[in-house]
Amino acid sequence: MSSIELKNLRFCYPGADEDTLSDLNLQIANGEAHALLGASGAGKTTLLNLLSGLLVPTAGQVLFDGRDVSELPGRERAVAQVFQFPVLYEAMSVAENLAFPLRNRGLDAEAISARVAYVSDELELGDRLARKATSLSLFEKQLVAVGKALMRPDVSLVLLDEPLTAVEPRIKWRLRQTLRKVQADLGVTMIYVTHDQTEALTFADRVSVLTADGIVQTGSPREVYQSPAQEFVGHFVGSPGMNFIPANVLQTVPGDRAGFRPEWASIDPGGQLAGSVGRVSLLGTRGGVAEGLVTVFTEHGEVNVRGPVEVQEGDAVGIRVDRYVAFANELRIAEGELA
Amino acid sequence: MSRSGRWILCAYLVYLVLPLYWLFSMAISSNADIVGEFNAFPAAPTLANFAEIFSNPVWYQAFGNSLTYVFINTLISLAVAIPAAYAFSRYRFLGDKQLFFWLLTNRMAPPAVFLLPFFQLYSAIGLFDTPLAVALAHCLFTVPLSVWILEGFFSGVPTELDEMAQLDGHSFGYFFLRVFLPINRGAIGVTLFFCFMFSWVELLLARTLSGAEAKPIVVVMTRTVSASGLDWGVLAAAGVLTVLPGVLVVWFVRKDLVKGFALGRVS
Amino acid sequence: MSYKPQNNRAWLGVLPVLLIVAFSAVVPLMTVINYSVQDILDFNTRFFVGFEWYVQTLNDERFIEAFGRQLAFSFTVLALEIPLGIAVARGIPKNSRLTPLILIVLALPLLIPWNVVGTIWQIFARSDIGLLGVAINAMGISYNYTSEPLHAWLTLVAMDVWHWTSLVALLAFAGLTAIPQPYYQAAELDGASSWQVLRYVELPRLRGVLIIAVLLRLMDSFMIYTEPFVLTGGGPGNTTTFLSQYLATMAVGQFDLGPAAAFSVIYFLFILLFCWLFYQSVVKRDEETP
Repeated sequence: MSSIELKNLRFCYPGADEDTLSDLNLQIANGEAHALLGASGAGKTTLLNLLSGLLVPTAGQVLFDGRDVSELPGRERAVAQVFQFPVLYEAMSVAENLAFPLRNRGLDAEAISARVAYVSDELELGDRLARKATSLSLFEKQLVAVGKALMRPDVSLVLLDEPLTAVEPRIKWRLRQTLRKVQADLGVTMIYVTHDQTEALTFADRVSVLTADGIVQTGSPREVYQSPAQEFVGHFVGSPGMNFIPANVLQTVPGDRAGFRPEWASIDPGGQLAGSVGRVSLLGTRGGVAEGLVTVFTEHGEVNVRGPVEVQEGDAVGIRVDRYVAFANELRIAEGELA
Repeated sequence: MSRSGRWILCAYLVYLVLPLYWLFSMAISSNADIVGEFNAFPAAPTLANFAEIFSNPVWYQAFGNSLTYVFINTLISLAVAIPAAYAFSRYRFLGDKQLFFWLLTNRMAPPAVFLLPFFQLYSAIGLFDTPLAVALAHCLFTVPLSVWILEGFFSGVPTELDEMAQLDGHSFGYFFLRVFLPINRGAIGVTLFFCFMFSWVELLLARTLSGAEAKPIVVVMTRTVSASGLDWGVLAAAGVLTVLPGVLVVWFVRKDLVKGFALGRVS
Repeated sequence: MSYKPQNNRAWLGVLPVLLIVAFSAVVPLMTVINYSVQDILDFNTRFFVGFEWYVQTLNDERFIEAFGRQLAFSFTVLALEIPLGIAVARGIPKNSRLTPLILIVLALPLLIPWNVVGTIWQIFARSDIGLLGVAINAMGISYNYTSEPLHAWLTLVAMDVWHWTSLVALLAFAGLTAIPQPYYQAAELDGASSWQVLRYVELPRLRGVLIIAVLLRLMDSFMIYTEPFVLTGGGPGNTTTFLSQYLATMAVGQFDLGPAAAFSVIYFLFILLFCWLFYQSVVKRDEETP
């Protein structure tokens, strides 16, 4: 377990004109669960490969516990990785798969079997140990892959590359919970790479949003959600994303654009905005009142409002905004409540 | 990639190229130079051997004969193997497994076994000494091999594709020609390569089934004995020329080949 | 394994193959079997002799010797070509501009007519005018494949390795390129050695192509005719006479049709047996490891 630091990291593929990553800085504390959230093309995979040692940075440093490992090959970094699909040694049993990384490091048999028992217990794989890896379900295989990544007691960093991709939708949640639990139990530093903001926000202690311009914001899931540093982050994080309207519509708000989350607004005839209801999707009830998402067409575009649903499609409504984030030139300049 | 792997590859490529170099070096040397004193490099390079081949109709007609039967064979093999491979890959039917294995056994039949019966058979139906006879005889091993290779590839294509085309309202013929075959370009490229390869290089059947008319290049090459003994130079020049069609085939299907190999039945 | 529906109309798809193979294989095979139980003096004078030719062939010392040589040859070349082919394939870069060129060079020996292969080596290995022969003799090793049986053997094996290792290498390379990169990455992070990568990552995933490679090489090496015929003519003596060559001598040279036919049937059955044994052993192991 180590703290991780990226210092002015730059990477350019040989022969490419532009840097894939330029001047990246990031600090991750020992034992932190960190999510790297980015759309495809943002350089997530490149960053992952720089961390795992598959690529060597063009400039800058990768530091593990303050030690520069930029040039070290993967096998000497004590890094483990879980991939988009389960990567296992198919000819081996589950126990052999788990033991493999330790055996290569010359641990004695007793220590290895103790660790196998511990990790398999943690992942509730105990009754699968003797089975051939090929005979497991996709979910179990990915669980074994996670277990394999956690085997080394001295592991500095566990990388998770969209680990839920191959798992059936209805089990995704379960696997993510398991991941969260073992991360907390073992206190391992983890970096979870994904394009799915829900996965990122529900998994991580802190989230970094990566775009082609670099890391645009790092913070707790709450910070990233509540105070996006850029319009892009507000748009990208959240489902649906942030609503954006011209700042002057909300009068006292500075900057050129104002953003607000669907739950920061409510249907209110006396609100600052007016429009007609376009779509209504129900999500459930609270206190006997239907709750959901109302999409309103306004003169400033579509606006989503989350809350009690007492309107129908086509109704003329007003929208009251209680809270906002103000942006100038796409960057956050202020945030606050509206009376 | 391990460094030792690179070394093995390099060493093997040298081993592979040296005999080819020797063939080429002989092809541009006079016969006297070849059988005379040993020289690692051609003492007096000459194109006379190639000139001899291009000016002698026996040589270039033989070349044409060979290309003709290889072409016919490849065509027949693909035409019959594609529907069969599709049937094997998509359906179970009465005796399918037995049939598949029986097909493969034909690939295991030594051509030497069939020399005489082939000779009699093709003489009886008047095909002896035609390219068609050799092409049909070569089907003995190219057809089973084609079915085998194609079945492996076709099985790898999800059946959802077939169903989707049906739902879209396309006829089977449209689906097969416009959707299925283009997707399997790589597979067909690989099969083409193997058909060409095994038909072009075969001597025994080709020799038995051709007389004076349809004499293939490989046979002419066994008969370059002149009054002064074997003419190594001309033989080597012909050898160099026989490599060229193969190189052309590989060059044209090279992309499909790599892709096709990669998608084949490998896991 | 995806579910395959039962549909006997699929026979229509198989029919053309059936017809063409029946024409090019079944009819001749019938002829061979027919001959194998007859004594044929000329085409109009024949006697039924039952299994006499089979008994004679199985007791024929020259057949048994040729058979032994054939076995030794096939297993030698397989033992060399399969590992070497895999090793060569592992050395081929996967995404280099050189890759297509390397693949084409590798394919060259496969595209050369078999008698040309024999001719190339016949000259290449000659101790007076061939590059290889002269080079070996220059190193102080007396080498002459036309008079020394052992040298003739080694030359034949070297030629076959030269001729066919590429096939194994190309198939193995195809298999290797199909292995997703993360498997290699994971092995690297697990600290696996190159040997372990081969053993646990590559070989299990090469099984399919290797079965094809072994079967093809087993069949073809057992049928080898043209190359040794050109290179050594079966000599010196009979030391490099393999089954096909002995058969051709019998059938075409001596016109012993009956015995040659019996020989053919036995020969064919042996190849079938070996391929079947190999295939069964592979499939068996498949079933044992779920």
